[in-house]
Amino acid sequence: MLLFRSEEHVNRWCEQRGLDRGAVFTPEQLWTVAKPWHGPRLERGWRRFTPAEAEAVFAGAGLTDTFWHL
Amino acid sequence: MTDDDVRLHILRELIASGTAPSVADTGAALDVPESDAAAAYDRLAANRVIVLEPGTHDVLMAAPLSAVPTPHIARMADGRSHYGNCVWDALGVIAMLGQDGGVETVCTDCDAALTLTVRRGALAPTDAVVHFAVPAARWWENIVFT
Repeated sequence: MLLFRSEEHVNRWCEQRGLDRGAVFTPEQLWTVAKPWHGPRLERGWRRFTPAEAEAVFAGAGLTDTFWHL
Repeated sequence: MTDDDVRLHILRELIASGTAPSVADTGAALDVPESDAAAAYDRLAANRVIVLEPGTHDVLMAAPLSAVPTPHIARMADGRSHYGNCVWDALGVIAMLGQDGGVETVCTDCDAALTLTVRRGALAPTDAVVHFAVPAARWWENIVFT
């Protein structure tokens, strides 16, 4: 995943590389995902999310379309 | 020694020194044979908990930390800084360490400096946007480019 100044910069970057535009969302949504995803990593017994758990984390940030299905 | 001991040792060493421990270092630190540490690295990599340089036991990624320099720096309130594998992971470093901090990176398109700031658990407003080129189900086909 990559960060851009604005959607205009995303569109230009994709166009120049012949890439389809993927999912564009806000850093606030990314922070909402990053907290549960990485916050507990220093806890003993941490484990990766199951696909269903990961989809629930995405959904908690409003990321619900098929792009986010696992 | 459990795989979780090894995982935590790798993360703690990366936080403390910025360098990922070798299997020899980890074996010595956890008082197990180097071969046992190597086997644990292999299992952690197979389970996508860490990423190794292909054909080696050199740690490339121990999420959210990168063992190699990247353009995504988590600069913490305590004055220390750490490399994230991407902006998501750099924000994850801030979440994991539970401090205020900022992610310093650049716009992928134009190289303009961008900073995401976290204070007291909240992200400061920003005009920047995040782009994922690859759908979630395909991230592990090439975790270096998502």
